[in-house]
Amino acid sequence: MNKIIRLLLVIGLAFTAVAGLQAQGKRKGTLNFYGWSEYIPQSVLDGFTAETGIKVNYETFSSGEEMLAKLLAGRGRYDLIQPSDYIAEALIQAGQLQALDLAKIPNLKNVLPEYLNMPHDPEQKFTVPYMIGTVGIVVNTEKVKEPVTGYADLFSEKHAGRIVVVDDGRELAVAALYSLGKNLNDFSPENLEAIRPILATWFGRVKLFDSDSPKTALLGGDVDLGLVWGGEAAILWNEDKKFQYVLPKEGAHMFVDLMAIPARARNVENAHLFIDYLLRPEVSKLISDEFPYTNPNGEARKLLSAEQLANPASYPKIDRKLDTFRHLGGDAGARIDALITDLKNAR
Amino acid sequence: MQALPSVNLENPHARRARAGAWLLIAPLVIWLGLFVVAPLGILVAYSLASTGELGQVEFALNFDNYVRVFDPIYLKIFGRSIAYAALTTVLCLVIGYPVAWYIARQRPVVRNRLLLLVMIPFWTSFLIRTYAWIAILRSEGLLNATLSASGAIPAIFPEPLALLYTPTAVVIGLVYAYLPFMILPIYGSAEKLDHALVEAAHDLGAGPLRVFREVIIPLTRPGIAAGMLLVFVPAIGMFAITDLMGGARVSMIGNVIHNQFTKALNYPFGAALGVVFTLLFVLSYALLQWRGRRRDRG
Repeated sequence: MNKIIRLLLVIGLAFTAVAGLQAQGKRKGTLNFYGWSEYIPQSVLDGFTAETGIKVNYETFSSGEEMLAKLLAGRGRYDLIQPSDYIAEALIQAGQLQALDLAKIPNLKNVLPEYLNMPHDPEQKFTVPYMIGTVGIVVNTEKVKEPVTGYADLFSEKHAGRIVVVDDGRELAVAALYSLGKNLNDFSPENLEAIRPILATWFGRVKLFDSDSPKTALLGGDVDLGLVWGGEAAILWNEDKKFQYVLPKEGAHMFVDLMAIPARARNVENAHLFIDYLLRPEVSKLISDEFPYTNPNGEARKLLSAEQLANPASYPKIDRKLDTFRHLGGDAGARIDALITDLKNAR
Repeated sequence: MQALPSVNLENPHARRARAGAWLLIAPLVIWLGLFVVAPLGILVAYSLASTGELGQVEFALNFDNYVRVFDPIYLKIFGRSIAYAALTTVLCLVIGYPVAWYIARQRPVVRNRLLLLVMIPFWTSFLIRTYAWIAILRSEGLLNATLSASGAIPAIFPEPLALLYTPTAVVIGLVYAYLPFMILPIYGSAEKLDHALVEAAHDLGAGPLRVFREVIIPLTRPGIAAGMLLVFVPAIGMFAITDLMGGARVSMIGNVIHNQFTKALNYPFGAALGVVFTLLFVLSYALLQWRGRRRDRG
């Protein structure tokens, strides 16, 4: 008897909790936004709420894969997501995004044409660019006197123990592919075998892996060089001009972070309103002020200061077309992860 | 343990007391059911599933994930985690025991103040304290600044200590984080210890070492055992310290599991690692209990 009562109590509690969550999602005037951590200023969210009365429920992730997993597991909870290019491509292929009503996003005209109709969304139907970033080499020029122009210089013997790299298996594997002159999206078993010894050597020379804030170790003087996100390098340059940023000569890619609406979003109207709000030049400028990535919004760039535009990590001088990540498919992701785990724990 | 007076089940008062007892532990039972038993069930279900192309969990019963857990690389990581946790436990015991003993021997007023000092770090978030250690250990940090100001660099050490992002830093972080969990239970045992027994041992001619080995240690054994469990169990699954203070170079099993859920998009494999990890604890705990019972009987 007791057992049954207890069981019922447990089930009852669970239902109340679930019902509560659903009620929250259905309430009018909300927007469930799932975005990158450290990527949107609070002032922008507050500004949107002040103007429209729409409450933004902001939830964060720190890797695109984390977002993908959560989105696929808890369908329909999010109205707006912030996928990177290759994740968006996978979501589009899987039918997980809904086509945008571009008539409701007039500010899309502010976006520079080179950031539209890219390989991940060739018809520009599902996504709108948010910010652009690169992955490159940052060097403390006070400590490192000789020029560093590519992966070979960065990971050379003489910098052993003075290097920080992002803790991201695919980024590191891509760097190794570039150093062999191979295509960055070709993770065939042969290519994975080819990069294994290279990564093994590199990992032996790396002081630390840090995706969240690689700038910290550089600022603290614990390391002198790094393979980091452009935005991190831009903040370092703002802090001290001794931190120079360079795109590796063997090859470099950019990542385009996007705004997209999941297929099962509930507050679609609000999501469109928010996307259009973010594309306003003066709002987009606020984002650039706090997170100095490459702003794809041409009108917003006109509002930036000369110093912001001169930041080599935000607006690198690009003498070539930068590659982008594509959705890999198959078990390539799992094989990259296995390789990286293997190499990190080989010692 | 002292024998409790036995309860007469035929007594109506006793039955009412039993109903009352159920009511009292109901929150705990519900809590355990909702947040321990149910999640464990989900974990087991996930561990038997496989992943789709986008990392979706597909429920098709298979044991591939468990086979992969026994791949040498993961066994090695399990072994390393156990080694780190064991080293942490031993260091905590060596450092914590004298502290707990000393506190237990003080006057009650002093004792309470000292205990407060042990607990004060808990007033701040664990992550903030870990970042504080980064500020202390970094090459231009507090420790090296102190050493060079005092002339120890270069007199004793030729150059600044490169402690941060090394295994040493991980152990420092682990010992720091879990030391209070060793001190408090040992203090509990040491405080209850009847000092007359120690004096009696002295009077009977035992030297300090012998008293410590044959009287004090056995009498504080429950505290030692509790402390070791409280340190070892959480230390083995730690991932934040290895990432932040170890530079994510050397993984512990916690890092691998964390990675399966956040980056590698392989919930089922992460779940399988979690299940094996939990079973490992259950097994070692059962073993400890069994040995304890045997010792008590013998």
